[in-house]
Amino acid sequence: MSDATKAIFTGDRCLSCTACMANCPVMAAIKEYRGPKLVGPAHGRMHFSQEDVEESLNYCSNCKSCDRACPAGVAVSTLNMLQRAEYYKKHKQLRHENMLAHGERMAKLIRKMPFGAKFANVGMNVGKFLGVFNALGLAGKRNMPAYASTSFKNLFPKIRQAPSNKKVVLFTGCYTNDNEPQVGEAFVKVMNANGCEVLIDEGFKCCGSPLVVTGFLDEARQNADNNVAKILNWKRKGIPVVTPCTSCSLMLKEEYYELFGEQEMREAAENVYDAFEFLEILQERGEFNENLKSLNQKLLYHVPCHLKSQAIGLPAANILEEIGGVKVQTADAGCCGISGNYGFHKDKYEISMKVGEKLFARVKKKDFDKVISDCGTCRMQIHHGTDIKPCHPIEILAEAYQ
Amino acid sequence: MKISDVIIIGGGLAGLMAASVAANRRQKVTVLTYGSGSLPLASGAIDFLNTESPEAAIKNLPAHHPYKKIGVKNIDTAAKFFCHITSQANLIYNGKISAQIPIVTAVGTLKYSSLVPESMNATKLKSKKKIFVANVKGLKDFYASMLVDNLKKYFPDKTFEIAPLDLNLMGGRDITCLSAAQILTGNEKILADGLKKLNATEDDAIIIPPILGLEGNISRAEVKSQIRADIIETTCLPPSPPGIRLQRALMKYLQKSGVRFHENSKVIHGTAEGKKITGVIIGSGIREKFFPAKKIILATGGFYSGGLTMREFDNPKEPIFDLPVFFPTGAENWSNENLFGDKPQGFSMTGIFTNDNLNPVDENGKVLYENLHVIGANLGGVDFIHEHSAGGVAISSAHKAAMI
Ligand SMILES: Cc1cc2nc3c(=O)[nH]c(=O)nc-3n(C[C@H](O)[C@H](O)[C@H](O)COP(=O)(O)OP(=O)(O)OC[C@H]3O[C@@H](n4cnc5c(N)ncnc54)[C@H](O)[C@@H]3O)c2cc1C
Ligand code: SF4
Ligand code: SF4
Repeated sequence: MSDATKAIFTGDRCLSCTACMANCPVMAAIKEYRGPKLVGPAHGRMHFSQEDVEESLNYCSNCKSCDRACPAGVAVSTLNMLQRAEYYKKHKQLRHENMLAHGERMAKLIRKMPFGAKFANVGMNVGKFLGVFNALGLAGKRNMPAYASTSFKNLFPKIRQAPSNKKVVLFTGCYTNDNEPQVGEAFVKVMNANGCEVLIDEGFKCCGSPLVVTGFLDEARQNADNNVAKILNWKRKGIPVVTPCTSCSLMLKEEYYELFGEQEMREAAENVYDAFEFLEILQERGEFNENLKSLNQKLLYHVPCHLKSQAIGLPAANILEEIGGVKVQTADAGCCGISGNYGFHKDKYEISMKVGEKLFARVKKKDFDKVISDCGTCRMQIHHGTDIKPCHPIEILAEAYQ
Repeated sequence: MKISDVIIIGGGLAGLMAASVAANRRQKVTVLTYGSGSLPLASGAIDFLNTESPEAAIKNLPAHHPYKKIGVKNIDTAAKFFCHITSQANLIYNGKISAQIPIVTAVGTLKYSSLVPESMNATKLKSKKKIFVANVKGLKDFYASMLVDNLKKYFPDKTFEIAPLDLNLMGGRDITCLSAAQILTGNEKILADGLKKLNATEDDAIIIPPILGLEGNISRAEVKSQIRADIIETTCLPPSPPGIRLQRALMKYLQKSGVRFHENSKVIHGTAEGKKITGVIIGSGIREKFFPAKKIILATGGFYSGGLTMREFDNPKEPIFDLPVFFPTGAENWSNENLFGDKPQGFSMTGIFTNDNLNPVDENGKVLYENLHVIGANLGGVDFIHEHSAGGVAISSAHKAAMI
């Protein structure tokens, strides 16, 4: 990566080749969206200098398929997000946008109440039933992510680990913490099996991805500054920060710098790893624990868009194929459509389901034992679109360490 | 990481073809690419040489021409394999290297190419009585009346009719052929209904812009089953649906064969032991990543796609392995004034020179790396644009390199 990756400097490299448009799943789904080339680099140049709103920018899901098609290294999607933030300087977010951006805050509030998670889940079902979701602007046809009864951070102190001088800090991510703590447990088990003790840093905040896509850029910046300072602390101690969530890792590794351009963000990024990227590095050093029980499973792997953007290959597929009898087949069916909180907006629901059609059709073939995907919202979308519940690849690996 | 039998750098036409051939040999194949290559912009037709029989003309080319290194027999095998794998994705190509097929361009001229998507094959035009040209409401960059004026010059004895067609494309963004193809996917009925109204018979042809969907032949088959006349697609300005169909057809083959395809993966260096490349390093992520391989195919697309760069005039570079790049010396040979004239452009002859195995060589013809093969637009000694051979050189060099 060079200095030139700060998004606003990349727009001028656009060759107008239109490759990004050919790859944008939202353009393929609806005719209202004018698409990445026009909205990002072309319109962006004008927009930062004068007030000028491109209404259709609202349709961009930040899936980053455009960035991956671009031969010139234009950070198209981030340009879109920066412009969206400009828009929201003059327009107030709607209530549901505010809610979806602040999942972390909501989860904290709920957990302060006795039996909060249970009531919240019941409340969500009742709310959905009574049409409150729709009235709020949320996609009424969708299940909201159910809160786990105990968050991962509350569960964590009860996990017994052998102390080790090899340590990693787990950046849990909101979804693992609040909704699927079993992913965090699997992570600890896998790291322990590889001789690493797992630490948690209570000071981390949400990576900010849901804030960026809903235009709360200042708040995202506060989270970024907070998290970057913490990551640099760990870096000084020689302890890497590892996360099983691919949207969190993309944010921490690349998007902070693209969005805000501070040098220390780049330095912090060097200390952040995707969970399987980390395991693959252990393997390259000959430090990966290959004492794995055979599982005999055919896995269908939906590779999240935000993993494809990281230029780390497919470490989860490579590592899981070390397990006896495991065969990993990639789904190769494009974006799942949910893109973080995008598909939770009522006015984006149909688009998100249309984008996901190809993947749903692939999953419904059922020529496998399990579906895996590293991203929590991808897993929700697949579950919603197919009634088949996927798991995180690290849950499979944890199983093989039994 | 497990070692790949072959790593292909670049996911354009040459890279995808090489990956398909290697996968067909049941090798463990990894593709690393940065950007989606020129296929989404290309016409979808594969040009071999602009002459009645490219096969015959290849024999008269100078020895330094890539076709001479590949050999006519291999070129023919490559063309057949290409048609075989695209047809598996339900994308039918017509043609062979000993002939050319006419295509109607977006402005109504005829262009000739050896391998042509069936939907664009305009051979039958000459036997038709009446030619309808669709004038699609709201579609950008497609002018039916200009097309008719030009096409009349080729077919002065035929009746032409401009057929207004409302496909309900309005009410959103500006509509390109890509947008129209996206909107019509799964909505083919509206096009079929519109065309039915023309009451065209077997004696007629209907010319439309390339909007018949993006997946193989699916949308076309749907429409065709309801219309008696032949429906012929033209070329268009980029982004180009027929190019995208080809890209997707090749991708489908790779996916079925278990090829690992990594996007956003810019290769920055190779590692070598003597004359052997041991692997490559990608540098587009936050930290570099090494991919080991037994063999490497360099399909990075020449000047157009960053496979060759020119920071200083007269000093072109190959940025990954620092291979020597041949170029005509002296500014006077560099270009001729008439950019789109009928003489080749010196600068576009620039590229990497190879032996018959497509291994890169230095100025004395000495092989630099034995397991590195150079294909597609990286190859020197040929002006692809002037002689209309970009697609043909890409797929035939890819086939040869992957079979070695
Ligand atoms: C507008 C247009 C129209 C065309 N029309 C026709 C036609 O009608 N008929 C015909 O026969 N041919 C046509 N062509 C040519 C054809 O489509 C191919 O471009 C040509 O054959 C070259 O193919 P290639 O695979 O060598 O290069 P490309 O298709 O350019 O692919 C090169 C790939 O390598 C990638 N790359 C570059 N550097 C790196 C790196 N360091 N690491 C990883 N990846 C890298 C690039 O991003 C790109 O994806 C057309 C081309 C264009 C641009
Ligand atoms: S981020 Fe996704 S939705 Fe937005 S422009 Fe890019 S490809 Fe389209
Ligand atoms: S792919 Fe990149 S260079 Fe091409 S039009 Fe889009 S932003 Fe511009």
